[in-house]
Amino acid sequence: MPSFGCTAISGRKKTVKMKMTFAGVAVAALLAGSAASAQDVIGYITKSATNAGWMMINQGAADAAAEEGVNLVSVGPAFQGDLSSQLEVFENLVAQGAAAIAVAPVDSAGIAPAVNDAMSAGIPVVAVDTGVAGADVTSFVATDNYAVAKVQGAVAATLVEDGQAIIYVTGNQAQSTGQERRNGFVEAFSAARPNSEILEVPTEWNSQEAQEGVEAILNSRQDIAMVANAWDGGTMGAKAALENLGFGAGDVKLVGFDGAGDAIAAMDDGWVHANTAQMLYQMGYQGIKAAAAAARGEDVSPRIDTGFFLVTPMTSGTYKEMVGIE
Amino acid sequence: MTDVAKTHANSTLQDRLVLGLVKFFRAEWSGAFLAILILGIAIELATSGRPFFHPSNLMTILNNSAAIGIVAGGMTLVIITAGIDLSVGSVMGMTAALTGYVASFWGFPPYLAIMTGLGIGLAIGAFNGSLVAYFGMPAFIVTLAGLSIWRGTGHLSTGAQATPKLPDTFDMFGRYNPFAGLRNAYKEGELSGFWESVGGFVDDNWINFFRTFQMSMLIFIGFFIVLTIIISNTRYGRWVYAIGSNEPGARQAGINTPRYTLLTYMFCSFSAALGALLFLGRAPYAKSDYGQMWELDAIAAVVIGGTSLFGGRGSLWGTFMGVILLKLINNGLTLAQLDTFWQMVVTGLIILVAVGLDIVRQSKNPESVRKLLGAIAAVMAFLALMTPGAIYLRAKIALLEHGAATTLREAGTSLAAGQNARLLSPDEITQFQSAALANLGATLLLLVLVLATAFVVLKASRLISFGLAAVFIAMILPVSLMGYEITVPFLVLGAAALLGSAYVHALFAKARRLDVNAR
Repeated sequence: MPSFGCTAISGRKKTVKMKMTFAGVAVAALLAGSAASAQDVIGYITKSATNAGWMMINQGAADAAAEEGVNLVSVGPAFQGDLSSQLEVFENLVAQGAAAIAVAPVDSAGIAPAVNDAMSAGIPVVAVDTGVAGADVTSFVATDNYAVAKVQGAVAATLVEDGQAIIYVTGNQAQSTGQERRNGFVEAFSAARPNSEILEVPTEWNSQEAQEGVEAILNSRQDIAMVANAWDGGTMGAKAALENLGFGAGDVKLVGFDGAGDAIAAMDDGWVHANTAQMLYQMGYQGIKAAAAAARGEDVSPRIDTGFFLVTPMTSGTYKEMVGIE
Repeated sequence: MTDVAKTHANSTLQDRLVLGLVKFFRAEWSGAFLAILILGIAIELATSGRPFFHPSNLMTILNNSAAIGIVAGGMTLVIITAGIDLSVGSVMGMTAALTGYVASFWGFPPYLAIMTGLGIGLAIGAFNGSLVAYFGMPAFIVTLAGLSIWRGTGHLSTGAQATPKLPDTFDMFGRYNPFAGLRNAYKEGELSGFWESVGGFVDDNWINFFRTFQMSMLIFIGFFIVLTIIISNTRYGRWVYAIGSNEPGARQAGINTPRYTLLTYMFCSFSAALGALLFLGRAPYAKSDYGQMWELDAIAAVVIGGTSLFGGRGSLWGTFMGVILLKLINNGLTLAQLDTFWQMVVTGLIILVAVGLDIVRQSKNPESVRKLLGAIAAVMAFLALMTPGAIYLRAKIALLEHGAATTLREAGTSLAAGQNARLLSPDEITQFQSAALANLGATLLLLVLVLATAFVVLKASRLISFGLAAVFIAMILPVSLMGYEITVPFLVLGAAALLGSAYVHALFAKARRLDVNAR
């Protein structure tokens, strides 16, 4: 019996080696490293490994994988917004026969063909944070960006008077996340403050673009009362712009989205007045939980809303306790 | 005798203007400068009530150009030697992250942290440069590898985490305002006599001028002045151009080409590290993902500035203008509140125009210049056309989309939410139909103008150019009557370009004659 087991293992190792020569991607290396079957491998294709918010999501994913006892193969794009590398990794994971794939698409429509291939090959796909347009997924685990942005817009409206001009720093308008956050904010804010002008600073989730755009507008107009942001990288960029122009905390109000640690710290210093926090950790955690459940063949809800938390100077203590910020 | 007398009599204002024009177009930076000027005027016209040509806005553009500008300055020298450095963005990101990291987590005093950052830059440059100069590896490959290596190293060494806010010393490279101290002292009432009046003047003009007078801008301008002096007055500067235009020749002439190549790459990476410091002076914190895609922006700025990618030809002031043009596009389009997707398209078009101007300039061929002016007139006619044309097309397309979506639905296809948005209500259908009809006349009229102008581009004839310029002017009245006053500037500019195109050959002939006389 023991000898039989031994040969079986060496036989498996050979096949693994073959796969490596053919596929030659990190996925294969990780498979070989674990020497486990592909059955409990869950692919996790993230949008960024360096963005502060994404690091929290990725942490949740890693913790869920440890809890479920699955082998999580995390792959990030070479740079933020790189669709082609996401597609490539996706195809490799399908070819390797991963048990399930969790993906945070950099491009909702661009990833759709790969998702279709995986789903028709019987591999469950869970979309995390950003939805997939034009293909069905097993489950979509995310904040309802549109609904939360409406809350953000409504709360922002209470911070200014009708007729005061504000700046809104957008995210990438070619992605559903960016579109929903902008539309939700603008609709709710304009409904409450119909005479306020909204000046937009377009970005592709890049805080440098946010900083420069906000600086340009603040310079040419003296009547800006608030800068609202589609994500907290923008909030920090806008804060830097204010500091560059010699504004103090509270001179121009800031409103954030994400609840990232540095934006909450800026709230404690009096810069940020409201922040709609996504439950980032939960997004990664529940995404991988759902993927693991789907891999085992269990039923998974097609839409998991991870909720949000409205952080204001009043509630920031509770929020910090909840997500474990010092 | 008569000839000499004639020359003297004709040495008028007109002659001096022609000579000035020739001198201007000989400068490598003239293409980028013209593009800046044209774009600036366009933005000024488009942003009513939000002054674009305002000192504080211009200084903001300079402040935000500073970091990438210094990176592009180093890149210019590398490109003049016919090399390339694709790693500058990663080097900038890594040095920014590490400088901030040692300053906040290792307790390095700021000056030591800054030295560390600049030292890292020099070391990376020495590594890249040695591989290129002494091991004969292609610069493209070495620095492409560097692009990945240094970005990865930056992420690894700092865990890709942001640092806390950096010590105030770093503000000296960025947001520090030399007048801030004076203004504060004035506000506290600590000044008297002469200094009090100076302080009052600064305070009165704070928002309009002094607020944006910051170190970023001063370092940026100072860097280019110093670098230009070095390049035009030292042997090193001459060798850089010599290596770029003919490397084997330079070597045979006794120039130690590997050494100067190495030095140039070291300088380029050093500039990237200095650019990182300038960036930190304005950024909220230090992080290893700064500077992504900066290599492309820097190369674009260098090329827009008239520097040849094949080496041997180029100027630092061209790069200076190129950087400003790139930042001006972002700044101006944001102020004009142009739609995001249009901003992308317009950015690319402006870059094409700037480089196109440079190519025509280099050709020194009157026919190309005439064609360019004709093309500008055609573009102006096209912009005028698009005022009613866009409304007409938008209405037609909406109706077509509605038709297609209805057909799909009838065929039983289930449509997604975004696709259902293409369906129109009966009210909207009549609205679009009347909009299409109302704009058809003006659209057709201006379409004819565009086609006629396009014809002038191909065919040189002074008479036709004059005639068409007259048509441009004559068009103003009917088009204005139809309610498109907004097209007037386009039509006037188009007429001016056509008139100019009629005189290009005469101008060139005159310039040649004057030039001969000048010699």
